[in-house]
Amino acid sequence: MTASADFDQNAFVRALLDPELPAPNGLEARHGIPPERRFAVYRNNVCVGLVDALAERFPVCRQLVGDEFFRAMAQRHMRESLPRTPMLFEYGHDFATFVSSFEPARELPYLSDVARLEYAVGQAYHAENATPLPMDVIRALPFDRLAGATAALHPSTHVVASTYPIVSIWRRHMSDEEMTPLELNHGEEALVVRPELAVNVTALPLGGSAFVHALEDRKTFGQAVIAASGVAADFDLTGCLRELLLAQAFIAVGASR
Amino acid sequence: MSDRKLCAAFAIAGAFATAIALAETAKAAKAEQEKCFGVSLKGKNDCAAGPGTSCAGTSKTDYQGGAWKYVPKGTCTSIVTPKGKGSLEPIAN
Repeated sequence: MTASADFDQNAFVRALLDPELPAPNGLEARHGIPPERRFAVYRNNVCVGLVDALAERFPVCRQLVGDEFFRAMAQRHMRESLPRTPMLFEYGHDFATFVSSFEPARELPYLSDVARLEYAVGQAYHAENATPLPMDVIRALPFDRLAGATAALHPSTHVVASTYPIVSIWRRHMSDEEMTPLELNHGEEALVVRPELAVNVTALPLGGSAFVHALEDRKTFGQAVIAASGVAADFDLTGCLRELLLAQAFIAVGASR
Repeated sequence: MSDRKLCAAFAIAGAFATAIALAETAKAAKAEQEKCFGVSLKGKNDCAAGPGTSCAGTSKTDYQGGAWKYVPKGTCTSIVTPKGKGSLEPIAN
């Protein structure tokens, strides 16, 4: 299939995304096969490829709604939002936003937050490598001066806060563990880090994502505690630090100011 | 340093020291697990399903030999699946 001079790329894209539209003008095909038929095959491949990409990227969402529902939803999304870059791992950047306004998914209000978590997992997987701060270095830090110190977090670090227990939902669908009933009436804040080859997903105490955002903004530990306390009055600093240390999220802790 | 700042610094120092102790205890427990190949169900692997996948949860078939999951230490090779035993090394599919 080649394109001739009167080829219009915008018309091509419109026809690609809408099976109701006729094949665009200016198509030629070899071997006497009608270009419309070749175009239909191409249109189908593009659609299936992008829907497959979303299905791979959002495996828990797919389980939550079932394959048929997911593919129908992904197809609608794909028609509205094509990849922005040639790198497929970036595709799905606005899928969660789409899901939150997708009427048939209204009954699963946590679905879009689970999608945000799954996208963060993919981003963490493809993030730049960095060496986590070894435990013996952390142990030797001047604790009494940390309130005024800043930290650099691993480039793969992401936090996703939700009013639903997204980490518990995600974990139940990613393990062989038997499904047990889950109370939906509490929120969870997910911490996603890939210190080595595997992506870790854990829950931070409430306020933890504000704490991480503050550290990412080069705020001091003292300022980060204040930010987190603004979200959760009884912010569990010890629990939050424990999760960050276990996830190997720190790559540097700066000198006190 | 004001009293309030001093108090915050003290709280952060204490929290850090406790968090390190807690993290090390939890890490020691994790070390008691081993990576076991060929025992995870489709899509339930902890990592390494093969080239081109984004790892956790991406294995394509049940008991895929290149996919592993964490199991308690010492139990991997005694796990029997319909495709054979678990392995501490990747199994060629």
